[in-house]
Amino acid sequence: MNRNGLFALCFNALFALFMMGPLIVVIGVSFTPTGYLEFPPSAISFRWFRAILDNPDFIDAAWISLELGLASASLSTVLAVPAALAIGRERFRGRDALQALFLSPLTVPTVVLGVAFLRFLSLFDINGTFVGLVLCHAVIVTPFVLRLVLASVTGVDRSIEMAATSLGASHWTVFRRVTLPLILPGVVGGWVLAFITSFDELTVTVFIVNPSTTTLPVRLFSHITQTTDPLVASISTMVILLTVLLMLAVNRLYGLDRLLIGGEAR
Amino acid sequence: MMDQPAFNHGQTMAFLELQALNKRYNAVVAVEDFNLSIQRGEFVSLLGPSGCGKTTTLQMIAGFTQPTSGSIMLNGRDLGAIPARKRGLGIVFQTYALFPHMTVEQNVGFGLEMRNVPSHERRRRVSDALDLVHLSHLGDRFPRHMSGGQRQRVALARALVIEPELLLLDEPLSNLDAKLREEMQLELRRIQQEAGVTTLLVTHDQSEAMALSDRVAVMQSGRLIQEDSPFDVYEKPATSFISTFLGKTNSLPALLERAGKRTQIVIDDVRLAGPQTVLANGPVELSLRPERIELTDIDKATLSGDVIERVFLGDHWLFRVETPIGKLLVMQRNLGRRGAEIGERLHLFWEPEAMRLLPRGDVS
Repeated sequence: MNRNGLFALCFNALFALFMMGPLIVVIGVSFTPTGYLEFPPSAISFRWFRAILDNPDFIDAAWISLELGLASASLSTVLAVPAALAIGRERFRGRDALQALFLSPLTVPTVVLGVAFLRFLSLFDINGTFVGLVLCHAVIVTPFVLRLVLASVTGVDRSIEMAATSLGASHWTVFRRVTLPLILPGVVGGWVLAFITSFDELTVTVFIVNPSTTTLPVRLFSHITQTTDPLVASISTMVILLTVLLMLAVNRLYGLDRLLIGGEAR
Repeated sequence: MMDQPAFNHGQTMAFLELQALNKRYNAVVAVEDFNLSIQRGEFVSLLGPSGCGKTTTLQMIAGFTQPTSGSIMLNGRDLGAIPARKRGLGIVFQTYALFPHMTVEQNVGFGLEMRNVPSHERRRRVSDALDLVHLSHLGDRFPRHMSGGQRQRVALARALVIEPELLLLDEPLSNLDAKLREEMQLELRRIQQEAGVTTLLVTHDQSEAMALSDRVAVMQSGRLIQEDSPFDVYEKPATSFISTFLGKTNSLPALLERAGKRTQIVIDDVRLAGPQTVLANGPVELSLRPERIELTDIDKATLSGDVIERVFLGDHWLFRVETPIGKLLVMQRNLGRRGAEIGERLHLFWEPEAMRLLPRGDVS
């Protein structure tokens, strides 16, 4: 086996440190007993974790973010899978335009999107509502789902579907029994990426929330514009912890490599 | 050999009848005026180089491609109006196209499941099909844990278990290595005969087509150019394209002349006694198979020449010999003696009838 040399090891270690550094600082700060951001903490204290319980508006915001992530990731997946199947394998007029349309939210500056959504939702009088948030987030996260599903669609051997058809399967049965299981890594991967993107979306969301639909990122943002206490650090630590637990669970159930890099089904 | 079906008696329609089949993609003609009849139980190969339209023909029979015009009749039914999933054909794809997320048993049982066959009967038929391909011990494996040859057999079992009226094989052996391919050729023939299923094989591999089929249909540029038994296609190729495509041959431009009843072949300034032919005097294409050339003594030689290349292939030698009529490929069976060295003079003999004369100037 080809082992890394000393230089490569140092490089990799520095790279990992660079990636992990901000997280380490945030986690460190969250354990401080002081009332300001202090790193490294002078002592270990759970003061700011207890403080989370005294601020139910953060917990409410976390629930809204969670529900928003689930709803918008699912909605965009439902839209992106048929789109990816059409774009990935059919040749039709307007195919490139359709793909560009689906991917365009990536290229438009998010601030511009936020202003646009604000105006658009007001027209239909749903600005600030949860439904409005879900629709906007679905638009933002669809490119991520589409790209991952597209990648797995192009990897599917068409003759596998032809084989199913020749054995008597209808279009819907071919999709349900053959196509969907084969593109599932892309679909699940896209959904997870969409969920994460929606969960921490801030720039667009600040334009379109109202006090009853404030998401966690927006709540944190408005908190740190007013004070600089370590509450944001302890909440961030909780989010990191939940993310790690989620990833561990996904890894256990499904395999992270397959999710993020893609691979053979089951 | 199985009982030869009685071909073409009276006006009874063949089991599979392709009539005036055409397929055009905009300006490109993929298949042109294609006619082919296959009798029940027959094994026919569609042979041709890539891009000759053979796969398009198969796709039209399977129902994945719509013909531009023409008809496909199977056992009296017009397939044109029937969607692919209701045609009930067994298809083995070049990539095998197994369902990677299903076990072997689930793969084979898929077609029965689609037909709502009750589960106990399904189990019995799946196990019969796996017996037929000698894979009954691997029913709970996933395809990715199997070798190429095993996957091939699963694909075959999956296609046969639905008891199709017609089995379509699309380059089924091209992904196997040479040794396995030969084994599978025999195996495929056995399975086809045991199942007694009418079979159409599409391939670019002439040895595969010859080894497996009762009849070979050769395609070139979207057209059917010859349709015959493997022996006749090899021995009596209709065009010089076929003579070079099937096996090895020495193909030389020549001039045909007649002196009385005898024919003569003129190449450059060499005159040879020619074979009987119906062709008119004038330019012809001469085809001489390397295995028809024998090594002999100088006094019996048709021509002599020097060895300029030689290849040892185990069971035979292949020499390239520089002769007055050009470079000739010569095959010599390996009888345990050392072959001629490069530069050595060889004396060659062949019967005039070993030379096949073909009209000059067909496209190839």
